[in-house]
Amino acid sequence: MPKLTIDGKEIEVPAGTNLIEAARRLGIEIPHYCYHPGLSIAGQCRLCMVDIEKTPRPTIACNTPATDGMIVHTQTDRVKETRRSIMEFHLINHPLDCPVCDQAGECWLQIYYMQHGLYDPRMKDEKVHKPKAVPLGPHVMLDAERCILCSRCVRFCDEVTQTGELGIFNRGDHSEIGLFPGADLTNKYSGNVVDICPVGALTDRDFRFQVRVWYLDTTKSICPGCARGCNIDVHVNRRRPHHAEGRRVARVKPRFNEDVNRWWMCDEGRYGYGFVDAPTRLVLPVRNDAGETRELSWGGAIAAVVDALGRTPADQTAIIASPKLANEDLFAIKTLAEARGIRQVGFRVPPPEPGYEDDFLIRADKNPNTRGAELMGLDGKVDKILNEATAHRVRSLLVFEHDLFDTGWRESDVRSALEAVDTLIFVGPNGSRTSDRAHLALPASAWVERDGTFTSFEGRVQRFRPALGALGEAIPTWEIVGRILAATGAPVTATRAEHWFRALAAGVPAFAGLTYQSIGDTGAMTAGTAPQAPAEAKA
Amino acid sequence: MSVQSIAFSTGQLAEVRRLQGLYPDKRGALLPVLHMAQDTFGYVSLEVEEYVASLFGLSPAHVHEVVTFYTLYFRQPRGRHVVAVCHNLSCHLAGAPLILAHLKERLGIDVGETTDDGRITLQAVECLCACEAAPMMQVDDRYEMNLTPDKVDRIVEALR
Amino acid sequence: MSEKILSRNFGVKDSHTLKVYRETGGYTALAQALGREPAAILDEVKKSNLRGLGGAGFPTGMKWSFIPKNHSGPVYLVINADEGEPGTFKDRYLLERDPHALIEGMIIAARAIKSALGFVYIRGEYVEPWRRFTAAVREAYDAGYLGQGFDIVVHRGAGAYICGEETGLISSLEGKKGWPKVKPPFPAIKGAFGQPTIVNNVETICCVPHIINRGAAWFAGLGSKTQGGTRMYSVSGRVTTPGVYEESCAITLRELIERAGGVSGSGRLKAVVPGGSSAPILAAHEIDVVMDVDGLRNAGTMAGSAGVIVFDDTVSIPEALMVVARFYAHESCGQCTPCRESTGWIYKMCHRIVEGKGRKDDLDTILDVAKRGAGTTICAFYDGAVGPYISYIEKFRGEFEALCQR
Repeated sequence: MPKLTIDGKEIEVPAGTNLIEAARRLGIEIPHYCYHPGLSIAGQCRLCMVDIEKTPRPTIACNTPATDGMIVHTQTDRVKETRRSIMEFHLINHPLDCPVCDQAGECWLQIYYMQHGLYDPRMKDEKVHKPKAVPLGPHVMLDAERCILCSRCVRFCDEVTQTGELGIFNRGDHSEIGLFPGADLTNKYSGNVVDICPVGALTDRDFRFQVRVWYLDTTKSICPGCARGCNIDVHVNRRRPHHAEGRRVARVKPRFNEDVNRWWMCDEGRYGYGFVDAPTRLVLPVRNDAGETRELSWGGAIAAVVDALGRTPADQTAIIASPKLANEDLFAIKTLAEARGIRQVGFRVPPPEPGYEDDFLIRADKNPNTRGAELMGLDGKVDKILNEATAHRVRSLLVFEHDLFDTGWRESDVRSALEAVDTLIFVGPNGSRTSDRAHLALPASAWVERDGTFTSFEGRVQRFRPALGALGEAIPTWEIVGRILAATGAPVTATRAEHWFRALAAGVPAFAGLTYQSIGDTGAMTAGTAPQAPAEAKA
Repeated sequence: MSVQSIAFSTGQLAEVRRLQGLYPDKRGALLPVLHMAQDTFGYVSLEVEEYVASLFGLSPAHVHEVVTFYTLYFRQPRGRHVVAVCHNLSCHLAGAPLILAHLKERLGIDVGETTDDGRITLQAVECLCACEAAPMMQVDDRYEMNLTPDKVDRIVEALR
Repeated sequence: MSEKILSRNFGVKDSHTLKVYRETGGYTALAQALGREPAAILDEVKKSNLRGLGGAGFPTGMKWSFIPKNHSGPVYLVINADEGEPGTFKDRYLLERDPHALIEGMIIAARAIKSALGFVYIRGEYVEPWRRFTAAVREAYDAGYLGQGFDIVVHRGAGAYICGEETGLISSLEGKKGWPKVKPPFPAIKGAFGQPTIVNNVETICCVPHIINRGAAWFAGLGSKTQGGTRMYSVSGRVTTPGVYEESCAITLRELIERAGGVSGSGRLKAVVPGGSSAPILAAHEIDVVMDVDGLRNAGTMAGSAGVIVFDDTVSIPEALMVVARFYAHESCGQCTPCRESTGWIYKMCHRIVEGKGRKDDLDTILDVAKRGAGTTICAFYDGAVGPYISYIEKFRGEFEALCQR
């Protein structure tokens, strides 16, 4: 473990740590563009210069490993002057089109120029012109004039996805990034190149011109797109709703978690939040009676559910829970089932087709909380529930989230089953052919509208937080179930998701000892599972 | 040239494999094989790049990077002869601008262009390292040295 | 005039053939070297004061000694025959007229660094030198000099000056763009294909058989105190008889110009580029300088590739700088920012100045930009461009100012 001094502060770092990372541990930021901790060292942008004692001239920090006794200065006059020079070079052929650039406000050219600029452009000759507004695929737009040729995107495609779509073509000041002519950037992680682009060269086609980044609010969350549980930030546009035609979730960005997704996420997860503001959202509890739909108050809706449950013997009642539900929801359902003696409870509805999976982040299981449902013992046979319903042996059926018509089951089988039950109760954020057939359809908050936790396939329990208010009258599923329980006379004291989590930790051994606090921002493992990477690796 | 015709002969493929075998990593043979491809197909079209990429297991983008980096790979059809006039320092001092102007006028084309009959592509290039015989130019494989307008005329005349 | 060592056979008919090479003492050094330990060969080269003749002037023996002693994998010897420095043409002569000298030198060098595989990277434009050298390699295989523990692969470049930079050359040899590599690691530790690699210039390696044959002391004595041997000076521009002149490294620039028949054109000297276009220019009064690595360094310029370009007093310095700036803008590989962005900009300014559209502050801008960029890049290419930018303007500012009337 070499011990070195940076700006007068001593620090010991693991062997091989470069000076940017060593400085970061001391809270010292060394400006850089091409360096990215998840990619190989390129040394191209030349911005991360520092002074190292006994070295004749400033040296790039990214390619310099810390050595014992090294004395580093990041703020000498010489270093600052070098940064100003490098910043000027970066901007010589840059179009300076910040007013129409989506990156404005989160652009590292802007940030570093504020800190290290010459402020007096001397370049008065014609700039080099390059392709602008070039779609690189379904998600990414290129402006080659804004590109500073840091090669992060190229290295991402070479090293992380190993798909090699991008290259830097030509040479000298005509160098430009691009795809092989006629090709598309269609790898399943293409959106990450937008995240790692330090400037406005690669922008997100979905986010382009929607809203200025300074109007966005950020909330820590977990991607609900598959069992991996990638850590994300949800960016919402609460303050300028008119900017994006009512679209509340502006974008989703991966959030670093060394043990889960590091800096990355897949495109399916990144662009998969559309259901949150979709027209299919359920916003009011409703009763469907012989083709007639009637809005209900929550009190009325809960009473109707309790009435149905009361009229049906427990052995003729079944619950199809969902692996998309949070642990808190699932534990409330478990509590309800146990309180009412309902033993037909399952969640593992077969998907319409096997999910795509790779050896990086994407899991075949497209549900965020299969593991949680398993650990709570909710894994009853759903095929049997369907058959029992068809045979009129299930009279009341509660379905959470699923559209049973969009599964691996035959539509005719689903139709027969649902037609056979006396009371079909649907709870979920979005309507579907299943909710259309439900006698009672209750609107649940979407994941971004509430607190909760998912348990990833590895057994990592991770928190997501509310980024938005619920649409309409929607409330969290745990609350819906809690109200049903309370209305049946069970003692329910939980008024927050966290209360249900405490009950879960007390009631299910795998969750024993876990609290929202211990889960924190990076998650915590359920009992009997070990993290895949050592805690040491966390920066 | 149709896409289907972009393929080496069996003998050439054996040569590709031989070249690839000369290097610790077969990618080392990329430049030589691109030379071969250019000699065979006339120029390095995008189809040629894709074909060569397939011979190396590389992404076409990575071959495109290489082809666009070097000056000796032609990405468009070229004339039957390439006349490349050095315009670097020693040749400049010895009158390269006059030689270039003479060639442009005589051929009726600008630098980078090919005569209408497809006979000659004219280039201005950086130092070819024959400064002792400036001004000079490369005509296909040959260096033509100590140029004068008359000499240039004779050389160009002989190109068919 | 010193003894011809490297160019001794240049005037001999068929000097490129094995037959003539052998008749003039070729491959006798190899026989000697095969009887010596690698360390002894290395030591001999160290003592000879042989310095790299491609441009950087790094002591050759020392470079060889950087190969890790305990390395168990392959070591590669790569010959830089990507001659491209404007004003330099001596390697072309060696490849065409004495290719076996390079082959013999390579086999000996390979023994010293324990390499079994050598690559000769010949610039793509050198078609005839490539044919000549390839034919010589075939002869050497047939004669059993090659293929007995050492092989040579002849590699053709494809047109890029930057491939003369040793790590750019390695990238190109690996089938990539000729982007120089970020150092460390240096090639002797991790070079071509990830293995320890020595990259040497053609002329440098051609010296090796002579060092083995006639001894380090003899070779060192041919040159100056800190640089052994003779050197092949490429002399061009406004001189009466341009050509390759093999002279002691201790020769002065004034003497060298005289060897080339003196200044032509007006006959009045204005300036000299002493070591290829990247070497800062010397004014007429600065030519009493010893043409070895240290002599030229002390004069504020560099020996570089020993390409001497002579300007008589009719040459326009701003126009010459425009030509040079165009070259650097064209050849910048585009990898790192200061060089990529400013070589093009500076060329635009130089071009504008020559066209009579210069502004007074352009000169200070060029000087400031060049000084700011110097030393900040991955490789030495940009510093090579800065040499002319600064020296042409600082030494001949009046000529530039006369063109900048705005």
